[in-house]
Amino acid sequence: MAFVPSHRKKHKTGGGHAHLQLTSMMDMFTIILVFLLKTYSTHGQLIKPSPDLTLPSSVIRNEPEVGLDITITTDWMLVNGKKVIPTRKIEDINGYIIPGLRQELKRHADIAKDMEIKHGAKFSGKVTIQGDKSLPYRTLIKVMATCGQSDYPNMRLVVYQERIS
Amino acid sequence: MAYRPSKRAKRGMEEIRLNITPIMNLMVVLIPLLIGSVEYIKLGIIELNLPPEALGPESEALAELPQEDELKLDLTVTITDQGFFISSGMAVLSGKEAGKPTIPIEAYGYDFNTLSNKLYEIKQKAKDRFPDHNHIIIMAEPDIDYQTIVSTMDAARARIDSTTQVRQTLFPVVSLSAGIF
Repeated sequence: MAFVPSHRKKHKTGGGHAHLQLTSMMDMFTIILVFLLKTYSTHGQLIKPSPDLTLPSSVIRNEPEVGLDITITTDWMLVNGKKVIPTRKIEDINGYIIPGLRQELKRHADIAKDMEIKHGAKFSGKVTIQGDKSLPYRTLIKVMATCGQSDYPNMRLVVYQERIS
Repeated sequence: MAYRPSKRAKRGMEEIRLNITPIMNLMVVLIPLLIGSVEYIKLGIIELNLPPEALGPESEALAELPQEDELKLDLTVTITDQGFFISSGMAVLSGKEAGKPTIPIEAYGYDFNTLSNKLYEIKQKAKDRFPDHNHIIIMAEPDIDYQTIVSTMDAARARIDSTTQVRQTLFPVVSLSAGIF
C-alpha cells in the first residue's frame, strides 16, 4: 500500500504549551526603544507644580531658559526659592518699586557682576518670572518695574504651552 | 596510516544560538524608564526686554539714540473690563458708539479672535508706512488678570488665517505700559 497518514496521530493536540515568539517581541521592543530615545528630552524642570502657582497658558513655542527665578504665587513672592514678601502686600506699596525685591535683585546682581570680573561669565540680566495666572496687572507691572530698575531688564515670562487645536 | 579526517562527513555551519535573555533584560529596564520620563507639561517663555529708557538714571548713557522726527505708529491695545480699546499715536479706533471699546467684551470672555482680525487689518495698512510696524504696546486696567494679558499678547503676536491655515505674523515685539494707575 502507499503511505497512509496515521489516523491516531491526527488527534494529538501537542499538550497545550505555547511557544513564545521571541523574534517579533524583539522587533517591537527595538522599535519602541528607538522611538522613545528620539523623543527623550533632557530639559531640566524649572518649576515646582503647586496649587498656589498655576502659570497662564500661551500658544508660544519658545524653549524655557535659565535665569534668576522670581516666583509669584498667590501667597508669597520668592526669588530663587527665598521668600521675599507676601503677594498681598505688593498691592499696598505706593509707587512702582518693591523694596524687598529690589534689595534681593541688587544682591544677586552684585554677585553676578563679581563673577563676571573674576571668571568672565557675562552678566545676562535675565530674570524668569513665574506668576500665577490670576495675578492682577498692577502687581505684574510693579515686579517688572523693580526688575528694570535693578539691572535685570531682560524678562522672560514662563507659561504653559497650549496645544493648538 | 595517520588519522585523516573523513572526506564524506561534511558538516554545515554550526548554528550560533543568540542568547536573547540579556537583551530582553535591557529592554524591560529601559523602556519603562523612558516611558516614565515623558513630559506631561511643556513650558514656554515670552520675552519682554525693557527699552534702555526705562532703566533709570544710571543708564541714561544708553539712551543717547537721537529721537528722530519720523512718524511712528505707536499701536496700543488697552484692556479694560469693558473690552479692548485699540489706538495708535494719532487716533483711537472707536467701536460701535463713541466712547465704547473697539472690541467689547462678550458673555464668554474677551474676544481674542476679533482682536486678531482687527490687528491684521491694521498690520496690512501699516506694514509699508511705519518703521515700528512690529511693535505693540499693551496697557491694562490694574485689575486685569495675568492670563488675559498673556492671551492678548498671543492674539497680537500672530494669527492663523481660518481659510488658508497660514500663520501670519502681526506684532511680535511687545511692550507693557503702566498707564492707568
